[in-house]
Amino acid sequence: MGKPADLIQGTLDLLILKTIALEPRHGWAIAKRIQQMSRDVLQVTQGSLYPALHRLEQQGWIKAQSGRTATGRDAKFYALTAAGRKQLAKELESWDRLSGAIQLVVREAE
Amino acid sequence: MARWFDRFRLRLRSLFRGAAADASLRRELQLHLDEQIDEYVAAGMTRVEAREAALREFGPIARIEEECRDTRRVNVLSNLAQDLRYTLRSLRRQPLLVLAATVSIAVAVGANTTIFSLASGLLFATPSAKDPDRLVRIRVNGNSHVSYRQWQALEESQALGGLAGYQIEAEVNWRGPESSVTLIPLIVTANFFDVLGTPLAMGRGFTASEASAERHPDIAVISHGFWQRRLGGDPAVVGRTLMFNGRPYTVLGVLPSDYRALPGYGTAPEVYLPLTQELMPDLNVPRAATVELFGRLRDDQTMGQGRAALTWAGHNVRALLNDPKFGDVTQFSPAGGVKRMGDFREVGAFFALLLIAVCLVLAIACANVAGLLLARSTVRRREIAVRVALGASRSRLVQQLLTEGLWLALFGTLGGLLLMFGLMQLIGRISLPLPIPIEIAARIDGRLLAYSLALLALTTIFCALAPALQATRPSLVPALKQELWRFTHRRWTLRGVLVVGQVTVALVLLLTAMLFVRNLGLAASADPGFDVGRTVVAQVTFVEGRYTQETREAFLRASIERLNALPDVELATFSHSVPLTIRSGMTTGADLRLADTGESFRAQYEVNRVGPGYFSVMGIRLIRGRDFTVNDRSGSPTVVVINEEFATRHFAGLDPVGRQILLPGAEEKAYPAEIIGIVGNSRHRTIGESQKAAMYEPFLQRGNPGRLVHLIVRTRTDPASAVRDVRQTISEMDPSAAVDVQPMRSALAFAFLPSRVGAAVLGALGALGLALAMVGLYAVVSYAVSRRTAEIGIRVALGATRAAILRLVLSDAGILAGCGIGLGLVLAAMVTEPLAMFLVTGLSASDPISFAAAALLLVLVSLAATWIPARRATRIDPVVALRDE
Repeated sequence: MGKPADLIQGTLDLLILKTIALEPRHGWAIAKRIQQMSRDVLQVTQGSLYPALHRLEQQGWIKAQSGRTATGRDAKFYALTAAGRKQLAKELESWDRLSGAIQLVVREAE
Repeated sequence: MARWFDRFRLRLRSLFRGAAADASLRRELQLHLDEQIDEYVAAGMTRVEAREAALREFGPIARIEEECRDTRRVNVLSNLAQDLRYTLRSLRRQPLLVLAATVSIAVAVGANTTIFSLASGLLFATPSAKDPDRLVRIRVNGNSHVSYRQWQALEESQALGGLAGYQIEAEVNWRGPESSVTLIPLIVTANFFDVLGTPLAMGRGFTASEASAERHPDIAVISHGFWQRRLGGDPAVVGRTLMFNGRPYTVLGVLPSDYRALPGYGTAPEVYLPLTQELMPDLNVPRAATVELFGRLRDDQTMGQGRAALTWAGHNVRALLNDPKFGDVTQFSPAGGVKRMGDFREVGAFFALLLIAVCLVLAIACANVAGLLLARSTVRRREIAVRVALGASRSRLVQQLLTEGLWLALFGTLGGLLLMFGLMQLIGRISLPLPIPIEIAARIDGRLLAYSLALLALTTIFCALAPALQATRPSLVPALKQELWRFTHRRWTLRGVLVVGQVTVALVLLLTAMLFVRNLGLAASADPGFDVGRTVVAQVTFVEGRYTQETREAFLRASIERLNALPDVELATFSHSVPLTIRSGMTTGADLRLADTGESFRAQYEVNRVGPGYFSVMGIRLIRGRDFTVNDRSGSPTVVVINEEFATRHFAGLDPVGRQILLPGAEEKAYPAEIIGIVGNSRHRTIGESQKAAMYEPFLQRGNPGRLVHLIVRTRTDPASAVRDVRQTISEMDPSAAVDVQPMRSALAFAFLPSRVGAAVLGALGALGLALAMVGLYAVVSYAVSRRTAEIGIRVALGATRAAILRLVLSDAGILAGCGIGLGLVLAAMVTEPLAMFLVTGLSASDPISFAAAALLLVLVSLAATWIPARRATRIDPVVALRDE
């Protein structure tokens, strides 16, 4: 397992929102999902995941509900709220703009 | 909206259900761990290996928890609550530290709040009245007083919502249970209580209709203090009869105990009597100075409109009063404001000085506490290092250490407030040489509360910030390794710097105190321009109606003859006022005109009416012309004597002697008077005043309807020995008169009151600052000695003599104290200049004697404070000291 890439500042929120957009997940599952989807490039440490989750909850973009994990444990599942959905759309759009802009710059420079 | 509400709900939940939220978070993290372990087990690890790997990967759980809590913003509050609990618990284990810090802060805060309460009560108290904001203080034509008729004319114009007046200079004799007592009542116009609208504690105030002077009302309202002190709190006081000047007055009501009287400065007149001819014999003199005016604005009036209305009314009554110049409103200011006090600049500056001084004392006290906390934080190094290693952030630790300071500051401030109440009680018992009681109640009002909170915040920061920052400095590794500094010694520790600061500030305080003590000494020996060493003053108050003008003159002349016949008496005279006493005469402002040239000028001068020989008795030099004689009496040509200042101010280059001058008459017209002499300048109201112009009129010529005269006697020997004879002689002449005889020097106590108060208060503050700073120095030297025990042990073992050890310790302390004293002298030289305004002429704010005395005193006391720990150092036994290894 190589050294995980540093997340660009602020993209963690986007990743979390995106990850739970389809279905509510609990913390560990969110981290796992991000790792799998990025083919092990992105590793979210607990130290940044949980504060981020709590922050998003405070913002009102996600809400916690109790559920049962695949292994049969009781856990806190996070789901998007309506505001969260809007926020996700907004962040996706600004991500597209940002990554497109970076693409332009990087390719141009070559 | 909903989102805001949700967020708010979450925060509330985390505040009130902090424990539940924490538990939930812990479960969440635990679950994460369990899932991870499951995954590793599934991948083929044993359960133990999986657990270790998961934990390793997880990182510091405590820090994650902390960060999650941080995202719930209420953290600051819950941290504070936690810190308050935690630090209180840890302080409980340190009772000595808490005691020392509390006492240190309490003393300083006590001094601080006491001065603040005094300033707030004396200078900024709003008079007790309904709607005090609408009360205004008024002066017309630049005069402090107007006559009864002028007041009547203005009041009847109804320019304002109400216009009333009072007079606080006349005296009445009250026949008390044991003897007659002279009181200064507040003599007020009939509508006084109507305009003021103060509710009374018992009974009622008089109304304008029942109290009008024309009805000769014999009714009174008394103060709470008078009721308690003089009438024993008689519950049936309303309706009781009191004898004032031999006339029965019925008590209508009692003022509340926290009543703040209109004249301000904390004065609490004991009796309020309606203005009558009996009390103010010049009631019907058209231009007499009878009452000071105040008024109430109508509800629809602004200050500007009120002033304009009153000016208009004043001009309209000129014809009625037969006074073409009457009615210019020269002052129209809020009654509660400080403008009522002509000398506010000095008094206000004095209180500002005191506040600065007490804040400096507080700073010294805080430095002591900071020193204690620094010493403690050295001991706690390891604890702090461990907590940092476990993930506490520096700001979090600083916050916690500040909380500790907050507790100490809180204890100290509460103790200080208690101390303040005690001090205010004591101050209330001091009897000042003043004819009217001064009452300042210590009350917790918004102002004091705000001030105390500000002090609390400042104290917390001063006491705890530096130690907190020092204790949490990032260099922690040595502390963790429990490295010993037993053989290292640093002189310039933060504590050392604090002590230098303390000594510096103490020197500035001490110097200020020295200046004021020197000032008192110089003021007491300052030359007031007249002889205070060989004169006796008798204040004589006649019973009302005992004398006519003629018989009173006869009495005075006979008294002078009898007094002159006494063996100890060189010469006796009489006068209306005596300079530098409470009855130092009137200040007059008038347009004067020279009869020959017709030239007119505006003059402000002191007026006294004096008998023949006054200048010789008082030792005031006659420069030109002649003194008054017994022939300067009613019927003979009108004459006056002026002082040098008057002559240079208004007759520059001309010889005033022999000139006719037109003086403003209390009756209709100005009257001419011849200037027959010029006398030397002297002081009139205060010892430090700038020179005032003065005019003397012959007592026998100008008449004097008052009941009060002064007899002044020049003695051949010590005046104290003549007091008894003088009193006896006057009492034999008129047994019914109240006679108060004392040497001139003690009669002038009033004039020296400011110097005495200044020396006493600043002296006390200087001593307090010195004591606190010395405690700081002592603590630092003691601590250094105990830290250096091993080092000193080695030095002794290697052959250092006791003297060498003593030198070692003393030189360290000497460097600290020396730096402080040096800095203090430099600082003092820069900042004491404004003090000059409080000092008598001839004493400079950079007075070398005061500087030298302050520095010397500080050196001696520092030496004493260092001596004890230094001696302890010399007794260190090397065997014992090194066995600790």
